[in-house]
Amino acid sequence: MNAIPLALYVTASGAYAVHFARRGGASGRLATLALVVGALAHTFVIGMQTMQVGHIPFVGTTGAISAFVWLLALAYLYTEMTADERSMGIFLVPLMVVLQTIPALGNSVAARPPVLESRWFEIHVFSLLVAYASLALACVVSVTYVLLFKELKAKHPGVFYARLPSLQVLDAMNRRTVGVGWLFLTIGIGVGIIWAAQLQPGSVDPRVQAMSPLDPKIFIVVLCWLVYGFEIIARSRLGWGGRRAAWLSAVGFAILLLNFVPIGYFGTETHNFY
Amino acid sequence: MHLFLLGVSHHSAPVDLRERVDFSRRGVPPALAALADTPGTAEVVVLSTCNRAEIYTMCDEPDRARDVLGRFMSGFHNVPEPELASHLYAMSGAAVTRHLFRVAAGLDSLVVGEPQILGQVKEAYAVASEHGHTAASLNRLFHRAFSVGKRVRAETGLGEGAVSVSFAAIALARKIFGRLDRLRALVVGAGEMAELTATHLRAQDVRHIGVTNRTASRATALAARVQGIAVPWEAMIDELASTDIVVTATGSASWMVTRAQVAEAMRPRRDRPLFVIDIGVPRDVEPAAGDIEQVFLYNIDDLQAIVRENLARRQAQVDRAELLVEEEVDGFMRWLRSRGSVPTVVALRRRFEEIRQAELARLAPKLASMSPDARARVEEVTRLLVERLLSTPTERLKAAPDEDAAATDADTLGRLFELGLAGDSPDDDPPALGRARPRRLASSSAARNR
Repeated sequence: MNAIPLALYVTASGAYAVHFARRGGASGRLATLALVVGALAHTFVIGMQTMQVGHIPFVGTTGAISAFVWLLALAYLYTEMTADERSMGIFLVPLMVVLQTIPALGNSVAARPPVLESRWFEIHVFSLLVAYASLALACVVSVTYVLLFKELKAKHPGVFYARLPSLQVLDAMNRRTVGVGWLFLTIGIGVGIIWAAQLQPGSVDPRVQAMSPLDPKIFIVVLCWLVYGFEIIARSRLGWGGRRAAWLSAVGFAILLLNFVPIGYFGTETHNFY
Repeated sequence: MHLFLLGVSHHSAPVDLRERVDFSRRGVPPALAALADTPGTAEVVVLSTCNRAEIYTMCDEPDRARDVLGRFMSGFHNVPEPELASHLYAMSGAAVTRHLFRVAAGLDSLVVGEPQILGQVKEAYAVASEHGHTAASLNRLFHRAFSVGKRVRAETGLGEGAVSVSFAAIALARKIFGRLDRLRALVVGAGEMAELTATHLRAQDVRHIGVTNRTASRATALAARVQGIAVPWEAMIDELASTDIVVTATGSASWMVTRAQVAEAMRPRRDRPLFVIDIGVPRDVEPAAGDIEQVFLYNIDDLQAIVRENLARRQAQVDRAELLVEEEVDGFMRWLRSRGSVPTVVALRRRFEEIRQAELARLAPKLASMSPDARARVEEVTRLLVERLLSTPTERLKAAPDEDAAATDADTLGRLFELGLAGDSPDDDPPALGRARPRRLASSSAARNR
């Protein structure tokens, strides 16, 4: 079922590429339309799966990826509509296509082991997925910031100059998305810690027993939390903004993405629910 | 009727003559009213800008219209005819359509692709239309022109990119800061270039403009002209720290602002960008200052390079725009010709209908003996027969490839079927002006066919 939103995301990707190349109004509207329909179809798919298994289908990494792509589509559409700015779709929607291929090819609905039968589970996963989506946006905004910055510094306005919003706008978007992302990262990690602490004394599940800051998945997410935390503090205390903040956002998300895909499947002893 | 245009523009006349034939001096409506009374023309729009004064109309005979409108222009503006004549250009038919579409697209402008002209064309049409001087042909012509103007801007890059140094600087500032209305600017120098840039910054609603100059009195004078505040020369470097945009235009022989001074000013600003526009020749700001993080330093050559590139880019779009215009001209002329064929088509249909009615009348005694059903059937069959006979000729008439072919077709048909058309061209329901409608078919024709 995840193939339907995938097909629409592929269409949107193509249209965003054409829109970026030619700056045509029609291709831009088509891109947004395809993305809106894709996100709606995706909502429908996730809704159907929720009804099928009785819980939101983000137990395994595959389901989590699908939910992440869905949130990313919604977050991006929100910024596109509020900022009236379509030029960043080309950087983001292809990432959604790549990630959505995983649930489209595999089974995104995993049975929920008894250990996850908890309200904490939903808050924990949902907060972290929202954080990931927001930080993905921050990363894209930051990459475009650096590209535009380079053109302006080189005194040779070109492709990005003609298409991107101002440095100021990109910097502000980076600040906001990192703020939202870091907040949800904090909630997600906090809930995870409290929940694991509650479970550990009585649980025989090896995954719960293995919960420790040295587990790759936990280690990396905490590392990211520190990177983004530093970005926020550096901005307010040291006046770091612009390119420095952009690099931190880009590096932070690169680490996060590593965590999400390879480590989520192969590297973790504690979060392998699939 | 023919589309007709008489005018002067920056291509044909020097500025002093253009000033004298500027319709806006005496107001366009009186000119429109006077033109509406001109015999032999119908519908009129006057387009008057600082670069052109043009009269668009529909006329019977282009040659006569040229004389009549030429006399009108000379009389209305009080410019001797011989003086005006050599600067006037006249066009008719497709050339008028092409001209107006090119004007609306900005292709005929002094700076190719400039955006104001489309608004001026719209305004000119609105005035004429409000006063009831336009009808089907010019309505359609101008509405197509607006859409051509929009299409060219949307589908080609003709209107893109700043084409003057000061606008290039403003565009860069926008790309760095987004909105300019919360920014502080500092103008170093009080010469002509400094003033020009300061004026542009003022027009962009920059929050604060400081002006500093070695001679304080000149700084004060310029500050007053651009609603800025004079800054003492010694305080210039201190002022840098709180400034977002610096314009230097002193042309002093040594660096006015060194890299070290900019670095010092940037320290409290941290990552807040500083845009330095050095338009002094020789340069005022040490070029190495541009290496500092978040300092964007552009000198006059950098800005001119951007302008040159933008101009070249616009030029490269001209061919695409011209193609688009040509496509639209074809479309409009097809429409106009299909309208032109209307009187012929109408006359032809009327003629055939009269023949049919006459034949039915002649057969009336025989038909009387038939059943009502059979009579209705005869009526139906004859009507369909006429329809079928006329359908292909009607299509062909409307699709005439050019005006000459359309006129020939109308002539031939008029002669073969004795249609009695007046003239060879369409009637466009002129609002005010006298022109004979096609003569009604002789009512005796039915009798002759008996």
